[in-house]
This record gives sequence, structure tokens and C-alpha cells, in this order.
Amino acid sequence: MTTDGPTLRLAYLYPDLMNLYADRGNVTCLQQRCAWRGIELRVATVAWGNSLDEPQDIYVIGGGQDRQQRAASEGLSRRHADRIGQDLADGAAMLAVCGGYQLMGRSYRDADGTVMPGLGIFDMETVHPGPDVARCIGNIACRWEGAHLIGFENHGGRTYLGVGARPLADVVKGFGNNGTDGGEGAVVGAAVGTYLHGSLLPKNPHLADHLLTMALRRVAPEYALAQLDDDVEWRAHRAALRIVGVS
Amino acid sequence: MSRLTRRGGGTAISGLVAQAVWPRYVPDALNSLSRLVLVSGTNGKTTTTALIAAALRAAGHEVWTNPTGSNLERGIAAALARRAAWHGGQRRERSAVGVFEVDEWALASLLPRLSPSLVVLLNLFRDQLDRYGEIDTTAGAWREVVVGLPDTTTVLANADDPLVASVAAAHAGRVDWFGGDRLGAAADLDPWADVRGCPTCGEPLVYDAVAFAHLGRWRCPSGDLVRPSPDVAIAAAQPHGVDGSAMTLTADGWQSDADVPLPGLYSAYNVAAAVAAARALGIEPAEALDAVAQAGPAFGRAEVIPTPHGEIVLLLTKNPTSANQVLDLLTAEPERLDTLVLLNDGIADGEDVSWIWDVEFERLRPRRLTLGGRRAHDLELRVKYAGVQPLDGSVAVEPGIAGPLDRALSRADGRLAVVATYTAMLDVRAVCVARGWATPYWSDA
Repeated sequence: MTTDGPTLRLAYLYPDLMNLYADRGNVTCLQQRCAWRGIELRVATVAWGNSLDEPQDIYVIGGGQDRQQRAASEGLSRRHADRIGQDLADGAAMLAVCGGYQLMGRSYRDADGTVMPGLGIFDMETVHPGPDVARCIGNIACRWEGAHLIGFENHGGRTYLGVGARPLADVVKGFGNNGTDGGEGAVVGAAVGTYLHGSLLPKNPHLADHLLTMALRRVAPEYALAQLDDDVEWRAHRAALRIVGVS
Repeated sequence: MSRLTRRGGGTAISGLVAQAVWPRYVPDALNSLSRLVLVSGTNGKTTTTALIAAALRAAGHEVWTNPTGSNLERGIAAALARRAAWHGGQRRERSAVGVFEVDEWALASLLPRLSPSLVVLLNLFRDQLDRYGEIDTTAGAWREVVVGLPDTTTVLANADDPLVASVAAAHAGRVDWFGGDRLGAAADLDPWADVRGCPTCGEPLVYDAVAFAHLGRWRCPSGDLVRPSPDVAIAAAQPHGVDGSAMTLTADGWQSDADVPLPGLYSAYNVAAAVAAARALGIEPAEALDAVAQAGPAFGRAEVIPTPHGEIVLLLTKNPTSANQVLDLLTAEPERLDTLVLLNDGIADGEDVSWIWDVEFERLRPRRLTLGGRRAHDLELRVKYAGVQPLDGSVAVEPGIAGPLDRALSRADGRLAVVATYTAMLDVRAVCVARGWATPYWSDA
């Protein structure tokens, strides 16, 4: 395995709080897809109390329980908002999943009515309709860039995008942002937010490579991402689509 | 849940009938037992229930139990109805002790209607989030019903699980504790561990020793919650791969070593819980440990099934914690094992299979590896990213149960480790029963 390719820096935010659905599978996926191509991916694991001084090329954040999400909201705005905001403005990529996605909007009102401020990366608000309203749970398939994204969602909050954000994908099966407008996730520049939780990247290698391409654009604009043998990835992708009745 | 009943040998159907004609059937029948023990928690319910029942029987008690893991209210009703039928409707239960495993959420709904002698709280791990929700929510529901328990009830809880300890501490009556004593070493929690913050104040807990997952000798840096000192403690545990483990237990100045046919560190906790439960019911720990050490594995839990093609060891996995514990067993084997992993996504497995990315397949070193179940291709992907290298270099992948089982058996030399999620385990067992390799479990109840 060669490592003569470019170097990317990835910050994995709050794995100590936000790994509810094995979200770290996304980091494993990016690590391997870089290693197989000779790209060096330096992963900075940013625990809740840690500082982050170095600029980053990719940010990854997962989902968490309510209490952990409140702590994450506080940590983000107190310690990490400037660094993240500056890097994203500079073209860095982001994958924000489920609870982490909610915190990248302007605000999240949780089941108790507590309002957590978000980083405002995406022009959107998330509202939890209360503990007695059914959660959005199940397999989800959507259309993205002429292909499908497949995953699982499990969220109480409903997300509504403002004019400054556009949905990442169109729901084919499942709930997506709010179960009503057919939109799933959000995208601004190289930042992607989604309710497809946990390990969505391994079964969606095109999205994984999209994030790497966006991150490489500012680091090594001339570098072309090599094609990998993704037979296993697409087999799992298609099998999961068949399970939800989409093919 | 009909698939549970279909594969489960019809254990829940008679219970549904009993409940329909008599909605208070379960609480009335349970409350009429001379003493009632309830066992709940994410992992180890079936095994611990079987071990407590063995200790009670050895002490001369008649025991009523639900030995097959059918642990919702209707499953308990079925176990009671079957017992009542065997006894010709006689009210024999007045002298019997009931030992029942209860699903975590069924416990919250049943407990306010019962007056148990003993409630055993084993652990709380992330499990089937699509069905159970977050463990903080489960702990909250437990806390509410534990606060309402009468003083006459004893609560026995795992001192090494901070979340469970915070629940049990809410009980006004007697609380007994089991836990590790000199287990593990100072370490950071694994990245997949479920509890990191103090359940009271939220500050990150400090671990002086980690046994596995979030179990260990923890302390809250602000002193808001203190780990209780165990009444029955595991002083040492030495797993012997899939075959069993050696352990040393201590209680009240007593200390004893035992070899048990139950594998893994998690089994040491189940044994300690069973001995502590027996102790709370007035049985000497030494006597209880003898009985427990002779009990075989519970249904589908490290059960050994002989086949014409070699022996199967059936290992149930339900969540990241139990799957990583099973990986510990496999890696503790002196030789690489032929291995079949089966992943289903039924309601009883959890329809969301994301959790396999928190299972450390990177540590799996199989001789030959076969992958199956409804989500075989998700496993194939996980194994690819983990870089698993079977000795023969290839991984066989085939969705389904009987197909991959036959393939794995035909390739195996000797023993085959079958690692399966809940419905996959039931399916494998059903195949083995249909071929005459195993007996249906309700016949040995």
C-alpha cells in the first residue's frame, strides 16, 4: 500500500458523546478508502472537552442521546464554532449525521421543549413534536445525484429547511427531514447533513468519495481520485434497496 | 412478533389466550407464588434466570420459570399456563418459587402490579434502538418503578454498571450488589461503550478498572454517585475460549474457585448475580455456586449441537456489547475456528443493522469464514473494511440460514462457531431440530 498521495486532515467530533448508531463506521470507511488509494488521512479524535487548533479538511459528527446532544451543543458553540466555521468557509467538507446534523442547523427544540443553539451551517430549524408523537424510524431510500442513497433513520425531531439550504436528496421510501416535504438532509458547499444514520458511507461509496473529492479540491486540486473495486459495496447497497422494495 | 411464536415452539400462543380471558392472569398468578424473583437487563437474562433456578432447585425448592427467553408478559403467561396444565389445575404454586426473566420494558409495566421478593437488575446496554429507544430512557422508566417498590422487596443490582447502580440506589428497601473486585485494569472505555457520563451529574466518569463495555470500577469525579461495594464479588475470572471459564467469587469472608461451562467475562457476571440472588433468598453462596457450576448453558447461549459433520457451538449476539464479548471468546481460542456469522434484521433482532460497525471484526481471526442471514451482504461489507483474513483467504457469502450453514459445515474441520443474532439463532436451531441434531427446546423445559 502506497502513501505517496496527498494528506487529508479529518476531525471526528465528540465520539465520546455522539456514537449512538455506530457512526464511527463512517470514519472507518473514509480511512480505508483513503488507505487503498495511498492518501494519508490524519484523524483527530476530538473528545468533548478537547480543543482543536489545527485547520481541518473534513469534519464528521454522529448522533447521540438527548442528554449527550445537549452537551455537544454547548461544546460546539463554546469551543469549536470558530474553527469549524472558518474551515467550512474555506471549502472543508463535513458529514453531519442525525443528532449531529440537527446541531448544524440554527436551532433544535428537543422533546422537553429545551432549545439548543446550533452552529447555523445549514439554514434550517429542527423541532421535536414531543415524546408522544411517533418517531421517524425505519429503512430509508432516496435519490441523490442520479443514484440512490440507502440507510436507516431513527429521529424524533423534524427538520425544516430555510431558503439558504437545499435538501441533499429526495425521499423515495422513508421519512427524511420531516416526513412531509419529501426532502432528506441538507447541503451547503461541501457540507452534507443527513438523517441516514450510523454507518451510511460504506453502503454509499459514491457519497464517501464525494466527500473526499470535495476535501481534496482545496488540498490537491490536480489530484484525481482513483476508482476502487466497489463490488462488495454495491452488492450491499443493492441488497438493502431490495429489502425496502426499491431497485 | 408472530415470527417469534412461529419459531419459538408456540410458547407465547397459550399465554395470549390466558391473558385474553383473564387480563390480570400474569400478575395474579405471579403474586400467588410463595416467592417471586424477576431478572431483567439487556444481556444475560436467560442464563442468569436458569442459574438462579438451578441454585433454588439444588436447595430443594420447586421452581417455576420461563426457560426459553420468552420474556414479554404473554411469554410469562404461557410459561405459567403450561405449568398450571401440568399440575392439573391444582394450586401448587403456593409452595413454589417463581424465577422469571422479564424484558426491560415489560419490567417497567409489570412491576407496579407485582410484589416480588427479589428484583435482579443485570446491566443496560444499547440494544435495538429502533425498538427499545435510548438506554437513558430505559433507565428512567426503571427508576420510576423501583421508587414505587415496597420495602419488602430486595433489589439486587450490578455495582459495576453506573447506570444500573443509579437506578437501584433509588430503592428505599434492601439493595444487594454484585460486581467485579479486582477485575480488569485501568483503561479508557472502548469507543463503542454506551455509558460515559455520571448518570447523576453528567461529568465523564473515571474508571480505575474496566471489565468490559462500561462495566468496571468507576467513580464520579464530583462524587455525585459512588460505586457500591459488592456483596458478592468476582475476584478473578479466566475465560477458556468458547468452552467455559474459571472464576473466583467472594462473599462475607467466603471465597471459592469454580470452573463453569459458561464462556466469557460476561458469564462471570451472570454467575455472580445468580449466587448473590441465592444468597438474598437465604441459600449459602458455597451451595449456590456448586449448583450453578453444574448447570449447562441456557438455550442458544454457547449451546453445543453435535452434527454428522462436526460440532456446532451456537453463540448468540444481540448488540455491540454481546458481539464484542463473543469476539473475545473466539480470539481466546488457542486455534483459529471455522466461523459462520449470521445477521438477521427481524423485529426481534433490531431492523437497523448499523450496530455491526461497532463490532470489532478487526479482531476476528477465523480459519474459514462464512457469512449469512438476511443481511449477509452488510456483513460482507463490514468484514471487508475490517480487513478480516481467513486462513484460506476467501470469505463465503450467501443470504439465508440453511444454505450458509450447510456450506460452513461442509468446509469445517471439526468444530464450527456459529455467531447469530436472535432470530437467526432460532432459525439455525430449527434447522438442527428438523434434521434431528437437536431437540426442540420446549420439550426440555
